[in-house]
Amino acid sequence: MGIEFRNVSKHFGGASVVDDLSLEIRDGEFVVLLGPSGCGKTTTLRMLAGLETVSSGDIFIEGERVNDVPTQHRDLAMVFQSYALYPHMTIVENIGYPLRVRKFDKAQRVERVNRVAAMLEIESLLERKPRQLSGGERQRVALARAIVREPRAYLMDEPLSNLDARLRVQMRGELKRLQHQLGTTTIYVTHDQAEAMTLASRVAVMRKGRLQQFDTPMNIYNCPANRFVAEFVGSPSMNFIEGEQVTIGIRPEHIQVFSEPRDGAIAASVYVTELMGNETFVFLSVGTNRLIARAPADFRAEVESKVWLQFAEDKMHYFDPKSGESLTQRHKL
Amino acid sequence: MGHKKAQKAYKWFRYVLLVPALLFALAPVYWMLTISLKSEVDQFATPPPWFVFTPTLDHYYDAFVTRGFGEYLLNSAIVSVSSTICALVIGTLAAYALTRFELPWRLNRHLSLWILSTRMFPAIVTAVPLFLMMRDLRLLNTRASLIIVYTAFNLPFVVWMMRGFFADLPRDLEEAALVDGDSRLGALVRVVLPLVAPGLAATAVFCLIISWNEFLFALVLTQTDAAMTLPVGIAGRVTQYEIKWGVMSAAASVALVPILVFALALQKYLVRGLSLGAVKG
Repeated sequence: MGIEFRNVSKHFGGASVVDDLSLEIRDGEFVVLLGPSGCGKTTTLRMLAGLETVSSGDIFIEGERVNDVPTQHRDLAMVFQSYALYPHMTIVENIGYPLRVRKFDKAQRVERVNRVAAMLEIESLLERKPRQLSGGERQRVALARAIVREPRAYLMDEPLSNLDARLRVQMRGELKRLQHQLGTTTIYVTHDQAEAMTLASRVAVMRKGRLQQFDTPMNIYNCPANRFVAEFVGSPSMNFIEGEQVTIGIRPEHIQVFSEPRDGAIAASVYVTELMGNETFVFLSVGTNRLIARAPADFRAEVESKVWLQFAEDKMHYFDPKSGESLTQRHKL
Repeated sequence: MGHKKAQKAYKWFRYVLLVPALLFALAPVYWMLTISLKSEVDQFATPPPWFVFTPTLDHYYDAFVTRGFGEYLLNSAIVSVSSTICALVIGTLAAYALTRFELPWRLNRHLSLWILSTRMFPAIVTAVPLFLMMRDLRLLNTRASLIIVYTAFNLPFVVWMMRGFFADLPRDLEEAALVDGDSRLGALVRVVLPLVAPGLAATAVFCLIISWNEFLFALVLTQTDAAMTLPVGIAGRVTQYEIKWGVMSAAASVALVPILVFALALQKYLVRGLSLGAVKG
């Protein structure tokens, strides 16, 4: 059952924002729509919510075609990037709003609001107004408002992007835990590949309105369908060596750096090194190519010093230089 | 110390600048209030007794007990309040539609300008057609005619003011309300309107003032006491034989009160409403 996009397109004026998207999301799955800004991921989410019309194609929720079903009858919950808390209502009223408009009786409302407030540890904030809350607290309230009833799916539009880095990692973990507890289908939009990798059961990578690859995080990372996916996922990014017939891609952790020459190793010079604490990124020049390698934290090399590189050949990726499509045949997990 | 002195001088300077403006604006009001309280002898004395005279409430008694000004006051109140409510309801819905729904053929823009253009010609132009229409509808000398005309007159103003307030409101909030299961109208009532309340209040005050003070259409469309409003009633005291300055001033002074009270009550919203959107919250 779950959610299905069938050949969905969206045009604004003449511009195509989402182009022939087909996606099947299984019940209970955590799917992340990943891509750079302007790739159509938010529009996709908004079409599912009914906040944008569909130009062509069909959207199904649990087998029901919802193209013409108004937002309020789609039975979804959404967390907005801005949180969109109602500024004139207290936190209790905010969280209780979806229940109120669905005509739940008072006792049930109180019971449910208290339950989610306890779950998200925001009981002490209930009588306040949104403007009296910190960013992280608002985030929790927005989540609470989404989970207070049991919708068919949660839609999340970059919900963590307004938090500072530390809080973002913490909330990321809590989100994952929460989804595990609730088991509700979740569709999550982000441009942050780390969020996609850590949260998703499957990731849909999008670019310029087109779906590039829809697979598990491991397969997205290990078997990227094309050069765009390979480059977008992973930090630091995959290295590419351009050739006439083929473009070779290799991830920084699959390049070993040695200070001494050894068999089969290629000579390179160190452009600069960046010590990250737990590891070192080594920026290298090989001829006209620039490469990044991941080395242990204790790796030391002077700028312009000579080093030798060994590539893990079984981890190399091959791409068509024109189309960018992957030419690698690899066993997927 | 010198700095503090300069600051104090500056503070006084502000009032010095304000005094001429206040004198200019309030002198006629003062004149009206004193005339309403002066006996006829004092009214025409030269030089006029500016501050010291024996006050009398005779003119007030004359206006509201002997003559029918109480009825005019009631007419004014019913007409202004009704037309303000009508204009706010219709205009707010129209403004919401213009800001939130995309109409074909760039109608959002065209319609807005078209609505505004109805205020661009002088009101007198429509006086005769309106008189003929109201006559055919048998609405002459009724409050309904004035309510209809004032509503139409205030609508463009409401639409344009509310359009600005709606445009400044983040769409996320309404979209959240829709996803949470509310209808469009429910989201408008429960989420949007409470947030534009200051704007709504400011708009209401302006509509009320315009309707309350309106003279031209009231003069053209009402000739009997049944629907005559205060401005027309007051002007009616200028007769062929005498001008009842005291009665007119007394009635006009009373006419000031409701608007003053209303504006003071909504002052907080008025200032916020007029500057809403100027500072992004």
